[in-house]
Amino acid sequence: MDVLNNVGLGLQTALTLTNLLYCFLGVFLGMLTGVIPGIGVLSAISMLFPITFYLEPTTALIMLAGIWYGTGYGGRTASILLNIPGSPSNAVTCLDGYPMARQGRAGVALFMTTVASFVGGCIGILVLMFFAPVIAGYALNFGSADYFALMVLGLVAASTISDGSAIKALAMVVLGILFGCVGADIYTGTPRFNFGMLQLTDHINLIALAMGIFGVSEVIASVRRVHTGEILSQSVGMKAMKPTRDDVRRSWFPMLRGSLVGTFFGTLPGTGPSVASFMAYAVEKRAADDQSRFGKGAIEGIMGPEAADNAAEQTSFIPTLSLGIPGSPTMALMLGALMIHGITPGPSLVTEQPALFWGLIMSFWIGNVMLVILNVPLIGIWVRLLTIPYHLLYPSVLMFICIGTYSVSQSVFDIWLVVFFGLLGYFMRIFDWPAAPMLLGFVLGPLMEEHFRRAMLLSRGSFSTFVERPISATVMAITVALMVWGVWSAIKQKRRERAMAGV
Amino acid sequence: MLSRDYRDIVGGLVLTLFGAWVAWYASDHYELGRLRRMGPGMFPMILGFVLAAFGLMIAVPACFRSGTRPDIRVWTPIFVIAGVSGFALTIKPFGLIPAIIAVTVISSMAELRVRPVSLALLCAALSLIAFMIFRVALGLPMPMFRWPF
Repeated sequence: MDVLNNVGLGLQTALTLTNLLYCFLGVFLGMLTGVIPGIGVLSAISMLFPITFYLEPTTALIMLAGIWYGTGYGGRTASILLNIPGSPSNAVTCLDGYPMARQGRAGVALFMTTVASFVGGCIGILVLMFFAPVIAGYALNFGSADYFALMVLGLVAASTISDGSAIKALAMVVLGILFGCVGADIYTGTPRFNFGMLQLTDHINLIALAMGIFGVSEVIASVRRVHTGEILSQSVGMKAMKPTRDDVRRSWFPMLRGSLVGTFFGTLPGTGPSVASFMAYAVEKRAADDQSRFGKGAIEGIMGPEAADNAAEQTSFIPTLSLGIPGSPTMALMLGALMIHGITPGPSLVTEQPALFWGLIMSFWIGNVMLVILNVPLIGIWVRLLTIPYHLLYPSVLMFICIGTYSVSQSVFDIWLVVFFGLLGYFMRIFDWPAAPMLLGFVLGPLMEEHFRRAMLLSRGSFSTFVERPISATVMAITVALMVWGVWSAIKQKRRERAMAGV
Repeated sequence: MLSRDYRDIVGGLVLTLFGAWVAWYASDHYELGRLRRMGPGMFPMILGFVLAAFGLMIAVPACFRSGTRPDIRVWTPIFVIAGVSGFALTIKPFGLIPAIIAVTVISSMAELRVRPVSLALLCAALSLIAFMIFRVALGLPMPMFRWPF
């Protein structure tokens, strides 16, 4: 009864007072950043990242993870009440959630999506519990060529499946890897691209980069654009939350389908909750017998995406914990937290750090239950939070960004890096270059270079090593297929647009 | 509407130039080595060429389609960036509280509207919150005030 032993160990770890406290803190802050539009989960995690230096690695991870899945619950509040997505993965919830609120059914929408989030989260955790150790077991045989191939797959998947131009996303991945090259070379120690600055020899600080690209540029883009306070005034008390029998009947299948869609896209490295919730909406629309109800307050249109969003948030831990390959920028920050505490993420994590691995997973159950409590009886508090004007909010966010960066190593240079990457992030928004692939490239870059050079060393300079090994050959084939699919769907899209223009 | 998609033309060319510069810089300053034993310059040089190629792939198709004018704002980024820079300049010589006031006051001008009372209250509240979180709860060794002269 291996699983039961592990679950027991996990519960022991997760149920200590400190871990419970930080789990609550995490999901609470996640809720908070999710509810308020204009603060993304990445900036929230990077703002709180410095706190984790003072915690045990397990506790730190429990808190950071809590922020991550907490935003999945919080984000839909603004989508439903304000028609502004609280976080990108809740954008589709606006389509049917806001019409529901206008029909006076905001309470029902909020209650039912809490249920959907909980069910999606639970299914995601179950899959994570059973699959992560299995995958980690296989991964112990992986060589450098296999790791390199997997990382290429993750980066290509992140670029082709997400919305927007795939070429721009790939270019940003490359730019990110280049920023990852700054600093001492891993094999020879030669300082690269430091331009005489001693601080750069020690590589670019991940926190400074994330805070600049996501935090500062998000503030710049939101000032005078996000208007909170224009909230639909209606009661969202316990009474207004009661769904009709018809609502419940309609919700079952969308919830389960959404969870499955989310589970799949969460596991795939590179895609995450945003892709999952969009796909789930598309699936629901196709499955419905009356498509015209969508966009006018169909409950299926909020249940599927919300379940998918939360399922994907949980299963995105599978590649992160079992392979050590972060599937999203947020996961990259989590791995960063592990590495700071001297724990190397990878397939051996499950066997070498069972208390950390199982404690983290068990904390997900606890955190999800906490979030239901935070959402159902206490929803009124969160709704009131939406009335805080943004002009008071954004200077506070900037202050936390500044102090957070500075406190990492008491370095003023890191704040100048935030300034640099904040400007870069703003220019990237103007040119419509996506920021998430860049951060992913930055984190995976050094790992990729290490495995690439080692694989080439072992194969005596022959590229055939990447197609001769069965694992890396399979992964490379999937990568090529993804790229072909990306090009093909782009061409199809263009044809359709041209046909539309012709009519 | 613009007759060509100038946003992607300029953006793509910037990426191409940057990629080419990286490739040149890496091959000029660092040892390239060989494929079987790569030096520090090889990996960045390859990436520089790849980035330059992607830049061209963005810029060239953009010459043959119409584009929209991007949403460019001048004052908002200047004030936000100046606020963060203000924090960077004041934290070492003057301490945490003056730095918080600097970032709050400068960045809130990005709204292009000054609300003196709420700004003063915000500064006071943020200073108190920062003191409670970073000094009392976390015990970070950060001086609140300092006089450099």
